[in-house]
Amino acid sequence: MAKSIGNALIVGGGVAGMQAALDIAAQGFGVCIVERSPSIGGRMAMIDKTFPTLDCSACILTPKLSEVLRHPNITILTNSEVGSVSGKAGDYKVRILKKARYVDEEKCSGCGDCATECPVEVPSEFDQGLGFRKAIYVPFPQATPNVYTVDMDNCIMCNRCVKVCEREAIDLEMVDEIVEFDAGAIIVATGAQLFDVSAYPRLGYSLYDNVINAMEFERLVNAAGPTGGHLIRLSDGKVPMSIGFIQCVGARDVQKGVPYCSRICCMYSIKNAVMAMEHNPDAKVWVYYADIRAFGKGFEEFYEMAKARFGVRFLRGRVAEVMQGTHSGNLVVKVEDTETSEIRLIEHEMVIVSPGMIPPEGMSKLARKLGLPMTDDGYIKIEHSFFGPVATKDPGVFVCGMADGPKDIPDSVSAGSAAAMKATIILAKGEE
Amino acid sequence: MTQTDDPRIGVFVCHCGHNIAGVVDVEAVAKMAESLPNVVFSCDEMFMCSDAGQQLIRDKIEEHNLNRVVVASCSPRMHEPTFRRVVEEAGVNRYLFDQVNLREHVSWCHTRQPEAATEKAKDLVKMSVARARVLEDLPIKTVKVLATTLVVGGGIAGLRAALDIGDRGFDVLLVEKESELGGHVAKWTHLFPADESGAEVIKPLIKDVKAHKRITTLTNSKVIEFDGYIGNFEVTVENLKTEKKQKFDIGTVIVATGFIPFRPYGYFAYGESPDIVTLAELQELAPSDQLLKPSDGTPVKKIAFIGCVGSREPGVKGHEHCSRHCCAATAKAAADLREKIEEVLILYQDIRTYGKGHEEFYRLARRRHVIFSKFPRDAKPVVTVKNSEVHMSWRDVLADRELTFQPDLLVLATAMIPPEDIAETAKMFSLTRSGDGFFNPEHIKLAPLTTHTAGVMIAGASQAAKNASESVIDASGAAAKAVGLMAKGEVEIESTVSHVLSELCSSCHTCITVCPYGAINMDETVDPPVAFVTEAKCRGCGTCASACPSSAIIMYHSTDNQIMTMVEAYLCSPAQLEGGEPQ
Amino acid sequence: MTTVEKKEVQAKKEWEPQIVAFCCNWCSYAGADLAGTSRIQYPPNARIIRVNCTGRISPEFILASLEMGADGVLVSGCHPGDCHYSSGNLKLRARLTIMKMAIEQAGINPDRIRLQWASASEAQIFADGVTTIVEQVRALGPLRREWK
Ligand SMILES: Cc1cc2nc3c(=O)[nH]c(=O)nc-3n(C[C@H](O)[C@H](O)[C@H](O)COP(=O)(O)OP(=O)(O)OC[C@H]3O[C@@H](n4cnc5c(N)ncnc54)[C@H](O)[C@@H]3O)c2cc1C
Ligand SMILES: Cc1cc2nc3c(=O)[nH]c(=O)nc-3n(C[C@H](O)[C@H](O)[C@H](O)COP(=O)(O)OP(=O)(O)OC[C@H]3O[C@@H](n4cnc5c(N)ncnc54)[C@H](O)[C@@H]3O)c2cc1C
Ligand code: SF4
Ligand code: SF4
Ligand code: SF4
Ligand code: SF4
Ligand code: SF4
Ligand code: FES
Repeated sequence: MAKSIGNALIVGGGVAGMQAALDIAAQGFGVCIVERSPSIGGRMAMIDKTFPTLDCSACILTPKLSEVLRHPNITILTNSEVGSVSGKAGDYKVRILKKARYVDEEKCSGCGDCATECPVEVPSEFDQGLGFRKAIYVPFPQATPNVYTVDMDNCIMCNRCVKVCEREAIDLEMVDEIVEFDAGAIIVATGAQLFDVSAYPRLGYSLYDNVINAMEFERLVNAAGPTGGHLIRLSDGKVPMSIGFIQCVGARDVQKGVPYCSRICCMYSIKNAVMAMEHNPDAKVWVYYADIRAFGKGFEEFYEMAKARFGVRFLRGRVAEVMQGTHSGNLVVKVEDTETSEIRLIEHEMVIVSPGMIPPEGMSKLARKLGLPMTDDGYIKIEHSFFGPVATKDPGVFVCGMADGPKDIPDSVSAGSAAAMKATIILAKGEE
Repeated sequence: MTQTDDPRIGVFVCHCGHNIAGVVDVEAVAKMAESLPNVVFSCDEMFMCSDAGQQLIRDKIEEHNLNRVVVASCSPRMHEPTFRRVVEEAGVNRYLFDQVNLREHVSWCHTRQPEAATEKAKDLVKMSVARARVLEDLPIKTVKVLATTLVVGGGIAGLRAALDIGDRGFDVLLVEKESELGGHVAKWTHLFPADESGAEVIKPLIKDVKAHKRITTLTNSKVIEFDGYIGNFEVTVENLKTEKKQKFDIGTVIVATGFIPFRPYGYFAYGESPDIVTLAELQELAPSDQLLKPSDGTPVKKIAFIGCVGSREPGVKGHEHCSRHCCAATAKAAADLREKIEEVLILYQDIRTYGKGHEEFYRLARRRHVIFSKFPRDAKPVVTVKNSEVHMSWRDVLADRELTFQPDLLVLATAMIPPEDIAETAKMFSLTRSGDGFFNPEHIKLAPLTTHTAGVMIAGASQAAKNASESVIDASGAAAKAVGLMAKGEVEIESTVSHVLSELCSSCHTCITVCPYGAINMDETVDPPVAFVTEAKCRGCGTCASACPSSAIIMYHSTDNQIMTMVEAYLCSPAQLEGGEPQ
Repeated sequence: MTTVEKKEVQAKKEWEPQIVAFCCNWCSYAGADLAGTSRIQYPPNARIIRVNCTGRISPEFILASLEMGADGVLVSGCHPGDCHYSSGNLKLRARLTIMKMAIEQAGINPDRIRLQWASASEAQIFADGVTTIVEQVRALGPLRREWK
């Protein structure tokens, strides 16, 4: 890798981290992306369409993925995590734990012969456990790098993949590695994860098959997803004719420790409601909400379109309970319509709860390693809303995307570019 | 630039998962393409833009010795750069690639007519193949990028962008039309989510900008002429007071011209009483311990706010958007004022306190007994002024009751709208505007800060309504884009320019009068004089080519033949053209 | 049966207007893209040809299209004042006005040509424009009848 002073480390390869990497690399500096999953892409790779214009997410993300992969100044370390960090702005020593993937990244061509041969099937994390993958797998078709990974927890060491791989890429004896990296600046772009909605037993998630969360819905309507893009119920494969979306679950709830608004769930639910109507124009789709927060560019217009053109119904009210319905698999939503003060019981064939976002697993550990303070909510604390919205306490460490709080794609991308700007000011100083 | 080899065309039809294949019979389209003249390879594939899809193109170029590629997939406005790069990697000139839009223009807009959609898809592929046959390769040109950025607008966004670029070691020309830097933020008394005044936030930025050796600031000034192309723009800046004009050569531009607060004449009796003000005007009321009624100077005891004034109005051009900042700004103002004022009421449609720390203000306001009342979308509150008193009546949807109130001061949280001269700015920099009246980004999700004019970025409220913290993030992001171009020092530009065939030119001067960029001149050294194009100035609109009465101008990559052959392919069946029948 | 004959048979059975649409890259082509991403549905009769600017379109393109059998031609560009190249659309408009008079003399109903402005954000206007020309032309019937 190039001169130490001219390198940036990016933790997390979601859309924010990727944008930051591209903008730093464009100036000629070296970048290393440390991503703990087997592929970069983050949450955006999993979602189906994107608000506010309904482009398909994979379609707009894929060119970015290959741009990052092919950029001569960018190194991607997947299956990797930050081990330790020392030093100061302009001169950090980072030890990266590169976990064994049991497949040689240089040799694997992504042909997939191994997975065809592999006898072990386990639920796919990428498909939210709704579909299956093998013990040797890529999370999704456009995975970047397009290299298979052995999931050792489920591998039965049958060696069948090893034998079938023509390139002799598989090595089940591979061990973890430590990679040392000198960086002038560090960007935290670890994103966020979904609130576990089973914390609200009254909403029926994990009790009833046909109550799913929004991420599962995204996979269900996705053509590359477990049902090949057919929106069907998990209990009986029936096409749901009536669908309810429940908002603010695990968000704006002081009692559950998530006092803040998650900022994206209103919009992704409106999008998903529209997609449900797209898949089945005769369906009746309801959204139960407290406030509809359509604040970004084009968002309010999108909300209007969902109502006026697609006929999505919006009902203001907190859902008290989701109960079993009269017909098998159906559900009844009990909700107080706050606009009429009526208690209503509305039957649906499928219910989608829209979870808020919470900091990703391992955030506090990472923050400790980097010596960064966190907010009460557990995100990375920014220095100042106006003087340092992507800066942290450490002058050489920046933050972008959902790592400092929930954000939609455009805001995450802008923040990625902003963090890149700040990082390169430090890198350029080292160059002088 | 003539292509001597026989065209060998490869056609790749994309499923785009379900997006295309769910409506269009992609297999049939690929099959049909096989029978078209000069097509030596045709297939359909799940995701053409994926690594696998890209590899497929490269492999097939090699395997079949393809010298033309047609990809029938999504809009070229998205993936044309991707595929051009792919074919180039396999040794095919990027201008020998053509893309068919089967998704945005077919499957997504004819979802319920799969047969007609497939027919349309076939026609479009035929047209593209016909065009591919007559495409010509063009040289790839690069130009240098001058190491200076022009920042237009000295609000918080413009200031931040200028500082970042200066700190990174490049020169900045900052042009502000007012006499003072700082924009709107400088006027706000209390900023959410911090607890500083706008002046406290803006002052240090202005100080740094003024002290920065790389930043030249021109206040009272506007850009009046803008010429050139990415990396090499020529701008003329005029001082509005002295009318002095100066010319500068610059490489990149950041437009940060911000917004103005909407003045809501015709809404809620605005203008009928001095006690009805906008939220922006409230912040400019003379500061004192007690908020005083503008009409008679007595202390305000009851205050009311109305949200979404001039925002969120479906069907009202330029007012359909949510203005994003006002819910939080209102909650903050109300919470602050409630400490001194007995009754504070907020009328709203939705409370959009989405951001970091925003919900806290909302909760704080509620804790301090600010009253929130939701009014229906379709029945706005009614405000009248009787005997110089402000009367309000509305229906509270949550209590399902008609309510009335007589505030001492009524504050309207009005929309952020573009500045009056935005049309002029848009024209100057060839920017388009979206429904909210602000500038259109290159891509609403993945390229929010760049525009369709190469080398021109947008940041802050000029891109859309947003708060100051978000404007600052934009500004640094846009600065990164500008620096990226300048640090490299050069950039590739399009070769799609026009060219005069001097032997056909009849010296009529028509082209010279139609070219909007003065790119065509007469070469007087020959007799009779003939027109010639200065390629660096030509932006490739093609107006000259269609205006030339002698058909002496060719527009590279968009020649008459390249266009008309598509029409022919659509309207005349291959049987008519070639005498063969597709299977 | 050759394709030509097949087409003719079809024409007798259920004639569908064939529309050539010239769209500028910056506004109307993008507006058509947005119509797609917004899933706005409109008649599938138009085939879009992308040009940089409507200023690129010469009257010959339109005449030749009609001659080759198009039943109608749609030209869609940026609103006056919004042209990416400042004024290409105005030049086109001037040309088209003259041309419409000429084709009327040739006996062709000028309603077969539609000029519209649709910006990148006006997906609905774009879609409605396509619907309008298709319906106008449908009412007029196939063009072949009109050529003198
Ligand atoms: C159901 C759903 C639907 C959505 N729909 C839309 C939409 O339609 N439009 C829109 O604009 N936005 C949408 N969003 C929001 C969008 O997903 C986010 O804006 C975007 O993903 C944020 O990008 P990011 O890079 O910050 O984080 P992420 O995409 O979460 O990426 C973070 C990356 O960091 C990695 N990582 C985490 N911790 C570590 C660590 N310690 N070490 C190394 N790597 C780590 C993760 O594996 C991941 O790859 C949606 C979100 C959800 C949940
Ligand atoms: C009532 C109100 C209260 C607000 N309160 C808050 C708050 O508490 N916290 C918060 O974060 N945000 C708040 N905001 C939002 C905040 O004001 C904006 O986000 C911010 O001002 C945007 O900064 P900007 O630099 O993009 O635009 P602006 O502040 O509008 O600055 C634009 C600058 O460009 C100049 N300019 C315009 N056109 C030209 C031209 N053609 N040539 C040269 N110069 C030009 C203008 O003179 C101006 O100086 C509030 C907004 C309003 C209306
Ligand atoms: S090439 Fe275009 S149409 Fe094909 S998968 Fe990619 S985005 Fe979709
Ligand atoms: S590990 Fe071997 S068999 Fe599996 S995808 Fe890679 S190259 Fe193919
Ligand atoms: S974005 Fe909407 S659903 Fe999500 S927490 Fe905020 S208000 Fe609730
Ligand atoms: S931010 Fe709030 S007050 Fe402002 S337009 Fe949006 S919803 Fe209305
Ligand atoms: S194409 Fe012709 S009219 Fe257009 S900019 Fe170039 S020279 Fe001028
Ligand atoms: S660019 Fe749209 S009409 Fe000129």
